[in-house]
Amino acid sequence: MSVKKIEPFSHFRLTETDKKRNKPFLTKAAQLSAQTTTHRAQERLHFSKPCAEETKVWHVTSELHVGGVIVKLVEKTQIKRDWSDHAVWWEQKQQWLLRTSWTLEKYGIHADARLVFMPQHKPLKLGLPNGITLRLHACFSGPVFRTVMGICRMLNIRHPEELSLLRPLEEKKKKKKDSAEEIYDLTEVPLSSVSRPCLYNGMPAHFADSPQMEAIYKMLSVTQPPPAPEVIAKQYRPASVVDKAHINGRWLDSSRSLMQQGVQQNDRLWLRFKYYAFYDIEPKYDAVRLTQLYEQARWAILLEDIDCTEEEMMLFGALQYHISKVSQSEPQLMSSSTAMDDLDSALQSLEVKMEGEGSSASELLENMTAPELNDYLKIFRPKRLTLKGYKQYWCKFQDTSIAYFKSKEESIGEPIQQIHLKGCEVAPDVNMAAHRFLIRLLIPAPEGMNEVYLRCENEQQYAQWMAACRLASKGKSLADSSFQSEIQSIHTFLAMQKTNTGSHGNVPASDESINTHSLVSPRYHKKYKAKQLTPRILDAYQNVAQLSLTDAVTRFLQIWQALPDFGLSYVVVRFKGSRKDEVLGIAPNRLIRIDLGVGDVVKTWRYNNMKQWNVNWDIRQMAIEFEGNVNIAFSCVTADCKIVHEFIGGYIFMSTRSRQKSDTLNEELFHKLTGGHEAL
Amino acid sequence: MDDIDAMFSDLLGEMDLLTQSLEQDTAPPVSLPPPTNTEANFSFGFTDLNESLHELEDNDLDALMADLVADLDATEKKLAADIEGLKVPSPPPPPKGESLLPSSPLDYSASPASSTSSSVCTPSSSAASPLPPPPPQSTKPTKEEIEAQMKADKIKLALEKLKEAKVKKLVVKVLMNDGSSKTLMVDERQNVREVLDNLFEKTHCDCNVDWSLCETNPELQLERTFEDHENLVEPLLAWTRDTENKILFKECGQKYAVFKNPQNFYLWKKDKKTLKDMKDKDKEILIEENFCGTSIIVPDLEAVLHLKEDGKKSWKQRLFQLRASGIYYVPKGKTKSSRDLVCFLQFDNVNVYYAKDFRSKHKAPTDFCFVLKHPQIQKDSQYIKYLCCDDAWTMNLWVTGIRIAKYGASLYKNFKTAEKKAVVNSAWTNRSVTSSSSESTPSPTIKAKANGHAPKPQPEPVFKDVGTCPPPPPPPPSPPLTGILPPPPSDPAFPPPPPPLAAKSSSKAAARQQHLSTNFPPPPPAMDLPPPPPPPPMDESSDTPPDFLPPPPPAMGSLPPPPPSLLSANSLPPPPPPCFKGVGQSLPPPPPDPGFLPPLPPPESVFVATGAPPPPPPPPPPPAAAARAPAPRAPVRASGSVKKMPPMPPKRTTPSLRGGGGGGGGDGDLMSELMVAMMKKRSNP
Repeated sequence: MSVKKIEPFSHFRLTETDKKRNKPFLTKAAQLSAQTTTHRAQERLHFSKPCAEETKVWHVTSELHVGGVIVKLVEKTQIKRDWSDHAVWWEQKQQWLLRTSWTLEKYGIHADARLVFMPQHKPLKLGLPNGITLRLHACFSGPVFRTVMGICRMLNIRHPEELSLLRPLEEKKKKKKDSAEEIYDLTEVPLSSVSRPCLYNGMPAHFADSPQMEAIYKMLSVTQPPPAPEVIAKQYRPASVVDKAHINGRWLDSSRSLMQQGVQQNDRLWLRFKYYAFYDIEPKYDAVRLTQLYEQARWAILLEDIDCTEEEMMLFGALQYHISKVSQSEPQLMSSSTAMDDLDSALQSLEVKMEGEGSSASELLENMTAPELNDYLKIFRPKRLTLKGYKQYWCKFQDTSIAYFKSKEESIGEPIQQIHLKGCEVAPDVNMAAHRFLIRLLIPAPEGMNEVYLRCENEQQYAQWMAACRLASKGKSLADSSFQSEIQSIHTFLAMQKTNTGSHGNVPASDESINTHSLVSPRYHKKYKAKQLTPRILDAYQNVAQLSLTDAVTRFLQIWQALPDFGLSYVVVRFKGSRKDEVLGIAPNRLIRIDLGVGDVVKTWRYNNMKQWNVNWDIRQMAIEFEGNVNIAFSCVTADCKIVHEFIGGYIFMSTRSRQKSDTLNEELFHKLTGGHEAL
Repeated sequence: MDDIDAMFSDLLGEMDLLTQSLEQDTAPPVSLPPPTNTEANFSFGFTDLNESLHELEDNDLDALMADLVADLDATEKKLAADIEGLKVPSPPPPPKGESLLPSSPLDYSASPASSTSSSVCTPSSSAASPLPPPPPQSTKPTKEEIEAQMKADKIKLALEKLKEAKVKKLVVKVLMNDGSSKTLMVDERQNVREVLDNLFEKTHCDCNVDWSLCETNPELQLERTFEDHENLVEPLLAWTRDTENKILFKECGQKYAVFKNPQNFYLWKKDKKTLKDMKDKDKEILIEENFCGTSIIVPDLEAVLHLKEDGKKSWKQRLFQLRASGIYYVPKGKTKSSRDLVCFLQFDNVNVYYAKDFRSKHKAPTDFCFVLKHPQIQKDSQYIKYLCCDDAWTMNLWVTGIRIAKYGASLYKNFKTAEKKAVVNSAWTNRSVTSSSSESTPSPTIKAKANGHAPKPQPEPVFKDVGTCPPPPPPPPSPPLTGILPPPPSDPAFPPPPPPLAAKSSSKAAARQQHLSTNFPPPPPAMDLPPPPPPPPMDESSDTPPDFLPPPPPAMGSLPPPPPSLLSANSLPPPPPPCFKGVGQSLPPPPPDPGFLPPLPPPESVFVATGAPPPPPPPPPPPAAAARAPAPRAPVRASGSVKKMPPMPPKRTTPSLRGGGGGGGGDGDLMSELMVAMMKKRSNP
């Protein structure tokens, strides 16, 4: 009925309120015999009765309202149970009869109608951004927008309007694997419990019911360890913009129910962030949201769903490494640790010490003297045009500079030279197999950069001096609290290099040594061996090693969001008057037109210049008018124009969310902006 | 002493500036090393000096700044000495004593300023924050609280002093766009915003957001605008000793152009007309989108630029792209896809500079060039990347884009702060204009701001020292001077007087001072004001130094009636308040300042005449400070009543003075001239 009806051309204006709903009304008032089928899916599921489907036919009048039909039905079945979630589904018309006060006549039901009485919530396999599958009860009767709200409430994800459901890619011949796949089951969660308040740590109460439930919550709120490189390689990767565009044809329609879109119970759907306008992220409340967002971003990068440069990839890799390391060590606490290198706090602690021990001032001052490193190192300065090569000196690392002497005995006197490391560039040159531990320094000077190589004898020495150089280059001294952890991380990466060069991947993967191929996209698996990759990731790791878990996740998301292609959802379209397919990129603030041949952005239109947009549902064409008499029109090739329409309306809706922290979502406005004629 | 001399000679340049500003006071101590060459553009970088010198310099400077030691009593001094001994590898004992002495006198002058500054101007006060502890201390000991507690406090204080002592300070000459210059003391904790605020106070400019500090490198023909959040001292330390680099204070429209017309950067591909007609609302949306989200968005720039790198002489074209993570180029034969891009450079260790006239210097295709280099590189080097754009528009796009990528959110924060400042200031100036007509005091406030750098909120400690320390004695004499002249103003300075009264009185005085300072921020400014007058004789350009250095020392020698002054000072406070009030009102209004200055000069000239006494200065220095304070006040008062219309003269006179004084001897001449001027002033009142 209304569902299938196609209106010639419906107009939407952003500011206007829509027209009154146009209800179909049939005046025929004959006595009807309705054939009613009771589909007891629930029972089949839970009680596993062999065949619980009975079809009953009985006569009702067309004046009887839907509620009356249900009451009759329940009476006749004589089964005592909670029927509250059940509703009537009109199969031929693919429509729910949810208005119980409407008469059958008003719904236009005739004698040949086949009605199904069944639960509105059915189990669904839900693929999360982190790659894990959940089984839970989702609403099959409400619009998908509300279904997603329900799912997000259960999973404790705020701002459900940013997410939606996506039909997964067809899986080819993966049946075997599927059976082995671990599925987290949330179907036991009573629907009513979702409204229970959250616990003190932000965990919804229903996750506290059992250890299994807590495990599920942990899965949701803690990042997954880096996937094995083979897993990444096996995943589908879009190879072109057109491939990416095809994925966007899979979004479900937010204004219709799952049932109406042909989704059956136990089907698999993906839950994904659809609108790249993330509003009001608050790590305190958003543990699950932030984690899943990070996972989605991580996979987008690993699968090259969004392009980045090699340098950016290394930084993403370093952040992934850091995040997985930190989340393993401090799984729950998303707190930021502040380094105590501030002199004020140091003073305070001194004071405390003083009061406690009553030690003398000189002792205090001794405590304050900075630690140093002293050792024999080999130094080489290539710029000096001497062919001498490495020469051994007694080196003293103090504060942020290295002073070197001919020998230890002469270290009391004036050094041969002092190298100030602040602002210098530090690069490693390490080959475990060849036992080479080089530190390459580029020291800035008024005349340019001076190159200095420090050669260490062994791993231990290298780790210490390298850590010291790295800190000094940032202006931090050895006394900095991060010195020890810096040494530790250098050791870790050295260990990774060792295992990578040694046996081929058969080493038991302790959490200390990850295959760095797990952190980058398959392109780099081919380009670099793991041992080549490791130092590069370590290099990038430098700058992020001190971040707390939350900060690291946030940084990852920031860098992701700063990528030029971030937030673009592609659709292949045919512009009016054009003879070739082009790509429309839909971003949070603009539309872009991309020439498929060259890959260049041809044109950009911003939403805030948009006056109105219309959908011609007959010819499936979108027409958009911008300020300054700019009109564009296109038909959609790889996605239904409803999807494109919903994207644009959705982003406009996202931009209406104001700073006021009202938790209520303006569902009506969303549908108004995205719904199309069916919602009106 | 030889050591000292050597060290001092190393520090010549700085000393020169300081001495100029300080005049006789400092001169005596400093005179040991014959300071010389006073270069207008000279700035001092201590980086090349070895560690010990480093420390010494710091100490010296501190002394000048009157931050250190002054407030410590005997035990505290011991502690400090211990600490210093421990901390500083090679601090020759003699220099120490020296430094201490000068420091105390300086303290007097500086402390008032600092106190005023803290109360008057917020930016400077922030820097002062560490000092707060000292005051409580001073009171505590007198109250005889638990010994342990006292000790703890003292240690803490000592540590803070130590911390303070390690703070690097530079005397910086800033060129104005009218060709004149101002000299500022900048410490390493100050960021450019604070320095700009100081300059606003000093220059009565309109304080709009375009005012910037720029660094120029004539050798490389580069210029860069410092970002407001940067520390000023650090980049200056990278300058070589013989550098011709300069710091300019000028309006740079490009500094915040991106916030005024974001569409020019974020929608640069659109046609010019659309950009020009952009609605304010749309601009706001652009700023919001790119600067207020979770991530700062860098303009999407892509252009063929000419590159000269690795020391080669030729320029080659490349297709460059700007991304948040760095600048990339598209290798020949590759696509523009991100994965094929080659990283040209990342921004962690480089700054971006505008280049001047590269067409002739480097045979660049156009004159629209910019440069990326490590800030420490000061000479031509293969490590400098030269880029050349087709037009100015492209160049500004890239330089701004790079700044956004490098500084991110700080840039927007800076702009917001600058904007606020500009608004407040315009409000103030309006007010001030009205108030200024009646009150001439504004100039003091300016001074205070200048001092701002001198957050040393140690007036109180100073008092203590006075009580216990030998240096104080000289000050007492000076107080009388102040008393004679315009006793009220020198509240801060007065601390010295208390010595006679003993610690108790000092503490009381301190308390009073506090009250005064809080209530009458203006008084300190008054103190500051004195400097303005002196500058004319000494330097036209150096306003700040005067703050620190009280020229009047000679006065001290002649005027030993400190006790009276003290009394008067104590009792006087009431009188000053009115003045202060006036000052406070006038303070905001920079414009009045110029007006005021004129009046001041005359008195100065008078002083100069009296200057003869200077020879004695060495001992007097401390008193000098006190005396100095009074002197300035006198002018202030005069100005207040007169309205000081006869401004500018001082400046002109100064140049001539300068010419007279060259090197160490020259300094002496200057000093004597100053003394004379001071004397004259005195006699005039």
